[in-house]
Amino acid sequence: MRFVLRLLLSIAIALTVGFGLSYYALTDGRLFGAVTLGPWTAWPDAGSPAPNPYTRGHLTREAALQLGRSEGLQFVATTDSDNAPLKLECSYLLAGHVPVSAFWTLSAVDATWVNLAAPGTDPALRSSEIVRETDGMFRVHIGTRLRPGNWLELAGEGEFQLVLTLYDTTALSGFASSDASMPSITLEQCS
Amino acid sequence: MTRTLLWLIGGLLLGGVIHIVAILTLPLLAEETTWSRISAFKAENRMLVLDRVTQGTPNPLRLDPELSYGVCEIDLSNGPAYLSGVLPDAFWSVAVYDQNGVVIYSTTNRDGIGQTVELGIFNAAQTRLLAQQQIDIADGLLIVEAPTNQLFVLVRLSAPHEAMRSRFEQELSEINCGPRT
Repeated sequence: MRFVLRLLLSIAIALTVGFGLSYYALTDGRLFGAVTLGPWTAWPDAGSPAPNPYTRGHLTREAALQLGRSEGLQFVATTDSDNAPLKLECSYLLAGHVPVSAFWTLSAVDATWVNLAAPGTDPALRSSEIVRETDGMFRVHIGTRLRPGNWLELAGEGEFQLVLTLYDTTALSGFASSDASMPSITLEQCS
Repeated sequence: MTRTLLWLIGGLLLGGVIHIVAILTLPLLAEETTWSRISAFKAENRMLVLDRVTQGTPNPLRLDPELSYGVCEIDLSNGPAYLSGVLPDAFWSVAVYDQNGVVIYSTTNRDGIGQTVELGIFNAAQTRLLAQQQIDIADGLLIVEAPTNQLFVLVRLSAPHEAMRSRFEQELSEINCGPRT
């Protein structure tokens, strides 16, 4: 009886640890292949010719067209800088600098990667379309409510994620001592 | 007590084994992959411009709405493949993917290529012939050595303004892709 109990216990532990850890490694992945900068997550190995096994698993799960190493890097944020999930009922302020890049685009998508920009507007913001402060810093308002200045107008409800794609960037490439500072995402107000 | 502890450690070790096996076999077991999504476009040896991403429509390949994408599937078993043409004066990049969706080569036009795309993709045997000068190639051709025969090429093109995009996509679709005829 005791033997059976111990056997069941160890099998339960093996299954939980084995599959739980695998699931974690391929979704959050912070300890395995992903890099986080504030609320932003990127998989810097995703565009390399020989990705590590975790990144390879991540690539398979996404089945998307990854950016090559020299093409750029994609950052995704599902939370604001205070670790609260991003919700379409609220408006947010994206402020700061991005690492050196030729240009970047910003878009909002839901969990299945459907674009959430309001109908009739541009589905993504591009770095050449925004107004900056005199010191090069930028502020972008994100949300469904009308905001002044740069505004990424969204529609719908529920949770969303922000995708910031840097093209031709030095971020996390290891070449330059590049400042890998990413913009912060601050909650403004909720309806 | 010690015996229970041993069983626990055994469970943890077995969990580690399951984890490693799961991670390593996942790419082999997946049914819907980047490759299956790309081959659904039937873009063998021609440059196909993908539809633009719009609000509210599914985007399984996670394309950037601001960019235009041209995709072309190539098979090196019939000989080396070439990509040649002229692209507009804007940011563009070329990436070569293998069947696992891994980028085996990528470059951008900021690396000093200018507007002309001249890319030759060779497998290992063809690269050897190339080194022995048994394949004639034009000067200035960018040479990519591919580990496998089944590949696809993706060109990303960024039109600085929406108004230019149709013309840019037209130029993108005129890129030649495939074996030299």
